[in-house]
Parts: sequence; structure tokens; C-alpha cells
Amino acid sequence: MTSEPTGFLYPFIDAEERDSSSLVADLAASARAKIGESRAIRAATLDRCDSALAETGRAMADRFQRGGRLFAFGNGGSATDAEGTVELFRNPPHGRPLAAMSLVDDRAVLTALANDVGFELVFSRQLIAHAKEGDIAVGFSTSGGSVNVLGAFVEAARRTLLTVGLCGYEGGAMAQSDVVDHCLVVRSDSVHRIQEAQDALILRLWSIVQQCLEEDSESGRP
Amino acid sequence: MMPVVGAPETLEEISPAEDLAAAALSLARRFAAGATMWCVAPQWPAHARHVAVEFVHPVIVGKRALPAVHVEAVDVAGALRLLGRPGDVLLAVSDADDPLVTELLRRSEAWGLNRLWLGAGPRPRPGLAEHVVWLDGADPALAARSGDMVLLYHLLWELTHVVFEHPGLLEDEPVCTDDVCITCSDEGRVAEVRTVRDQTSAEVVVSGLTETVDVSLVEPVEAGDLVLVHAGVVLSTLHHGEHGQQAAFEGFR
Repeated sequence: MTSEPTGFLYPFIDAEERDSSSLVADLAASARAKIGESRAIRAATLDRCDSALAETGRAMADRFQRGGRLFAFGNGGSATDAEGTVELFRNPPHGRPLAAMSLVDDRAVLTALANDVGFELVFSRQLIAHAKEGDIAVGFSTSGGSVNVLGAFVEAARRTLLTVGLCGYEGGAMAQSDVVDHCLVVRSDSVHRIQEAQDALILRLWSIVQQCLEEDSESGRP
Repeated sequence: MMPVVGAPETLEEISPAEDLAAAALSLARRFAAGATMWCVAPQWPAHARHVAVEFVHPVIVGKRALPAVHVEAVDVAGALRLLGRPGDVLLAVSDADDPLVTELLRRSEAWGLNRLWLGAGPRPRPGLAEHVVWLDGADPALAARSGDMVLLYHLLWELTHVVFEHPGLLEDEPVCTDDVCITCSDEGRVAEVRTVRDQTSAEVVVSGLTETVDVSLVEPVEAGDLVLVHAGVVLSTLHHGEHGQQAAFEGFR
């Protein structure tokens, strides 16, 4: 198999290829280019979202100050983004550990809900069980269209949670949703670059939250 | 084969891109030969899960699903010892100091696994993995969250699939390409003790194969010990027991 459009004309060429050095050089060049591209997209995204991040981080810090907890959710790679967010907030490299839990962790709950009521409800049903006024919902969907993530935001808004969404492309349905208080969009059409930039957004958000909490404690703000 | 690591001043020139390319070629060859990739990230489990989902369920429709598994167990070493087969791959994501990763990498040598280590911060000392892909100089705790770590395995996945488009290059590398080949040279090999027969002999696993070796030159060994074997004789004990003292690793190599 070959991906070159003319490869079918020369079916034996690739199979006879034996010297890997030129391929390895191509791979390295491709990796170098994508490392540069990824870092550029992350820098541009942080730049473009600068004021949105400051506003979102401040709102999250207010919730944490009043005892709020963070619930994170997403599917597939976005599930691991949710899990990573919880790891970062709860076990930070420095600063104050904050109450956060992932709605993708408990496989008994996930499979019970998926089996009995449908996968589109796996996150919203957990919010019904856990969420209290003052909590925070953080959802990830690179397409902006994951039905269970959008449904969880509807449930979260009904319970007056602060809702924070991260997505890619043009933002999809998430960017249009009136139940998402803060929507951070990575303008890329590569799932990989979107996920890398979402990591950068969450790291920045976490650091703004920590900064706000520190300033509050210095100024004696409750 | 492990890329040659030169003097410290040349390390700067080895960017993750070159190391990723070499790692991807090797990984594709292992997959083509039927390997499973076992993933661990004790400090950041989300990364090991992300690697697994990346390879099993590719974001690009039509790319083949490749067997990658996040190993989640109370006793990760015990699980891997049972699950891993010679020729499989262990992928670890951590900083250079992670004690569990260090132990798994060391034992994996005896189990015959190929080791691929992604990380950040000060580099680990050489010899613990066939491929080390490192974000030099970064704060590991921040690199793990900044998008750089996930970028490393996104690229590893992508480059591995590019290699699959070159079937002529998928045949495994010849065993001896380096000047010093561990298998054929005078160097000792790392083995894990399975069963002690008596004061002079024990069954050990070396490169995934069981051998009976002479243990009369060393203090009594027990199952789970890591030992150095040369020509059928155990020369020294590197690490005592299933969950032995980490200190035993520190002076090694």
C-alpha cells in the first residue's frame, strides 16, 4: 500500500525499498515543521483568547473561593483532556490544590448510564447527581458538536453552574450555545493541533485561577 | 537500536524531531511484527490513556487501529510481566526520576520489551530505553500540561503511520548494527529471577527467554530479583525483590 497518487503504477517500488535513511530524514523534517506549527497555533490561540481567559479564570476563582468544585468531561482524547485538567487542578505543580473531578473516571457509572439510558446522557446524568450551585462545568469537544458534552452544559446551566467549553474548528454548536458562559475556540482543523492548544489554554486558565486566588488572599478578599 | 548519544555538548543538537523519527521507524517495525504497545505514565495517567486511544482509534478515518494499552493495575510490574511478550513495546511518559518507570524500564529489558521513553526536564542517564524522546530543559510538570507532551505522541502516531506506507522498510532491523552489541559482546545482560532451584542454580528470564543460570557467585537470590548474567553465570544482583529498594538501581551503570 502506498499513499502516493501514482503509487499504483509502481506496485513493487515501495516493497523493494531497503534504505531507511531518507525516510527517517523526511520524518524528522515533517516532525520539525509540525512542532513549529503546533507552537505557533498555541501562541496565537493564547494571544487571541487573552481577555476571555482572564475573564474565565476570574469567574472560576470566584467559584472556588466560595467552595465550588470543578467537573470535567469529554470523549476519547477529550476525555483524557478532562482527566488531565483534573490532575492539574487537584495536584498542581505549585499553588493551591483545588476540588476537581472527572466525569469519565468511573467505568461502572459510565457503562451503566450508556447501557441503560444512552451515551448522550452519560455526563448530564452525573451532573444531576453531583452538581451543586456554585460548581463549575468544563467540557471538551474538538468538533464542538459532541452531543453528550452539549447536553451536560444544558444540565449544568439549569443548575446555575459556571460553564466553560473548549472546542476547535469554527467552534461548532458549542460556540453557538447560549448555555456556555465561556467558550474557548482553537481555530484549527487538525484534531491534534486543537488538542495541543486546548492543553495550553487549560494551563493558562489554571495559572490565572491560581493568580486570582493568591491576589484575593493577599487583599483579604473572602 | 539505540541512537548513539554523543558528548554532552552534542545533546542540544539532537532535537525531539530526530529522535521521534528513529522511534517511529522502530515502533512501526515492532507493530508490523505483531507487537502490542503497553503504556504507562504514573505521574500523568491521562497521557498514557491518550496514547492508547490515539493508536487504537485514530483521528484520521482509514488509518489502521494499532494495539496500544494503558496498563492500569495496583501492581503494574506484575501485570506487565504476565501480559507483555518478547518483542512488545513499553512506552513510558514521565520525568527522568520516576521510580516506577525506572523499575519498569529496567525489568522490561529482561522481559524482552522494546522501551520508548517520552519525557521532559533533565535527561535520564543512557541505557534505560532503546528510544528516548525528550523535551530538554523544560519543567516536566509544565511541559506535561503545555501541549508539548501531547504533541510528542501525536507526532509519534503520525510518523508511525507514514512508515507503514513504506512496506519495504518494515522488516526488522538487523540485530548487530552497533559497534558494541549487547547480545554478542562480553557485556552482561539483565535478567529477572523466576525460580530459585538450589544454592547454585536458578531460572531467570533474559530478553524474554527462560534460562538456567549459576548463582553460586552471589549472595542468595530470590524470585523477582534483577541480576546481571554473563555466559550463564550471575555476576551481581542489581535489585532485590519484587518491590526492592530503589537505591539498588541508583548505582547501576
